Amino acid sequence: MDKVKGLVKEADKNILGLLIISICIIIVMGIIAPNTFLSVANFQSMGSQFPEFGILAFGMMLAMMSGGIDLSLVGIANLSGIICAVTMLAMDGSVVGMAAGIVVAIIVGMLCGATNGFLIGYLKIPPMLVTLCGLQLYTGIGVIITKGPAITGLPESFALITNGTLAFIPIPVIIFIIVVAVLWFIMKSTTYGKELVFMGSNSTASKYAGIDNLKVTMTTYILSGILGSIGGILIVSHYNSAKSDYGTSYTLLTLLIAVLGGTHPEGGKGKVMGVALAIIALQLVSSALNILKVSAFIKTAAWGFILIAVIVTTQLIESKKTTR
Amino acid sequence: MNNDKVKQILTSNEMIVACIIIGLCIIIGIVNPMFVGQHTAINLSRAMLVTLIFAIAEMIVIVSGGIDVSFPAVACISLYATIKFMNANSIDSVLFAFAMSGGIGIVCGLLNAILVSKIKIPPLIATLGVSSLLNGITLAYLGAANISKIPDNVDSLSQQFIYTYTNEAGIKYALTVLILIPIVLYILAYVVLKYTMLGRGIYAIGGDKNAARIAGFNIIKIQFIVYMTAGFLAGIGGMTYTILMRQAGPQSLMGAEMMVIAAIVIGGTRITGGHGSVIGTLLGVTLIALVQNNLIMLGVPTHFQTFIVGFIIVVGTVITSIRVRYIDAKPKV
Repeated sequence: MDKVKGLVKEADKNILGLLIISICIIIVMGIIAPNTFLSVANFQSMGSQFPEFGILAFGMMLAMMSGGIDLSLVGIANLSGIICAVTMLAMDGSVVGMAAGIVVAIIVGMLCGATNGFLIGYLKIPPMLVTLCGLQLYTGIGVIITKGPAITGLPESFALITNGTLAFIPIPVIIFIIVVAVLWFIMKSTTYGKELVFMGSNSTASKYAGIDNLKVTMTTYILSGILGSIGGILIVSHYNSAKSDYGTSYTLLTLLIAVLGGTHPEGGKGKVMGVALAIIALQLVSSALNILKVSAFIKTAAWGFILIAVIVTTQLIESKKTTR
Repeated sequence: MNNDKVKQILTSNEMIVACIIIGLCIIIGIVNPMFVGQHTAINLSRAMLVTLIFAIAEMIVIVSGGIDVSFPAVACISLYATIKFMNANSIDSVLFAFAMSGGIGIVCGLLNAILVSKIKIPPLIATLGVSSLLNGITLAYLGAANISKIPDNVDSLSQQFIYTYTNEAGIKYALTVLILIPIVLYILAYVVLKYTMLGRGIYAIGGDKNAARIAGFNIIKIQFIVYMTAGFLAGIGGMTYTILMRQAGPQSLMGAEMMVIAAIVIGGTRITGGHGSVIGTLLGVTLIALVQNNLIMLGVPTHFQTFIVGFIIVVGTVITSIRVRYIDAKPKV
């Protein structure tokens, strides 16, 4: 019994809160609309939706843990998606072409991330400014490649990445689980993971502790770029076309998820599991609103409201803790 | 001594931006002689009118050490709600339009101020949240369609000009009377920032909050004034845009924040706060507007525009950051 109490105490309050919210939504929606909400089809459609922005949210989480922010994720996603599409079309949509497209997309994501990391870590330009410019820059390159309209005519089999299922589990969910596992391993068991947390909580102290801040920053933004490109590939596969202005609402959504998952906006704190749960909770809310036929505009307002509400509560709780 | 001062002026950020503007004008003028003439100045001032209003508001916020990305949403809700209200109650007064739009802006600014100053949320996240909230409210509860019926008196303002110019071909170019709004605002901002206690206080809290508090500045009061002013100016800017475009759209200004922040940063304002000048902002907006409107004259296809603007911002910020490092490394007297 004591052991259970200890476990509850040990568990992050934030994660516990998210779990409770998710379960509440499932129960309430299960009572209101049991046939639509609790159907296999609904869960499968949710499964093909959330990995897109969910993977982007992890990029945002890493950047925020380092004490920065990555507003260019959507730009990176679209640019690598476009280049992926161009590569595939150039190679006639064969299986080899698809593989080449994915590899090229990830390299593009790495390059974009490296550019961000260099400007932030070496030239010491504030992350917010760099990534805001980055968004413009990468979107701009995307527009130059596509000349405006979307690139279409992608191979049918490429759409299977988001539409296909493996033993009733949508493939995006499998990709998402792999990403979560890899990130969890990186944060838990590598030197880089520990260094990132140190640097995020106090960059001066980490510098004097012998941590190469530039290297950690570069790694962080490169990882973030890779996650961005994976998100981009999923977006391209989802729409079966590539364009420079897909998913523009994802910037706010990823920020919301990262904060909801317990990532501290000033750096140093963040949990992979928290963010993963936040993504699932948010997708449940979104799906519930869809089934209740709430307008998409109210959803936009709701995201903003939830973001503000969550930060205000955590901030108030924290200030209470410090005054005690 | 005198030499030093000349050197300081010549290497100042404003001077560099001014030189780039002049150089760019000369290049465009050589490539395309159509560029040279009064009509370019008139078109340019019309194109940058609204951006100028937003830029001065945003600059004050950035100088105070914050950032406000919610102003497009604030402007949209202000202009849309005002026009809708005026049409529904058949009110037709220019003064009322600006007062109501500015008033809604102040309320939104107050919300930002409470979140940033009282609850101490990072300004970027707070204003991003407010932006999404306001935009959602505008679209869901006020409507999503553009309104092209603007009350007559308000609409007639778009047809009043302070200066007209007719070229040889007989095409008339007219400078709208609305240009007076940014002119007045910039003079006012220059005086307030330079010569009043409030203005100096804004620079002080942007530079070092603790030092400013110890020096006796009321940080919370200044932050409230800054964010509420920004909200007010966003409302005014939104109404100006409506009159200029003769249409009220609930989403028309969304996405404008990127250009405005870019213009300010190019104008030499440091995004970390404490530094920035009104003249620099004016020049920054001019440069961005020049690039946006006249790239086509150089024969650059329009789909290159986003990239080129982004590239200019990156180069501009890199130069600024290297300069800051250089200045910091210099021996202090």
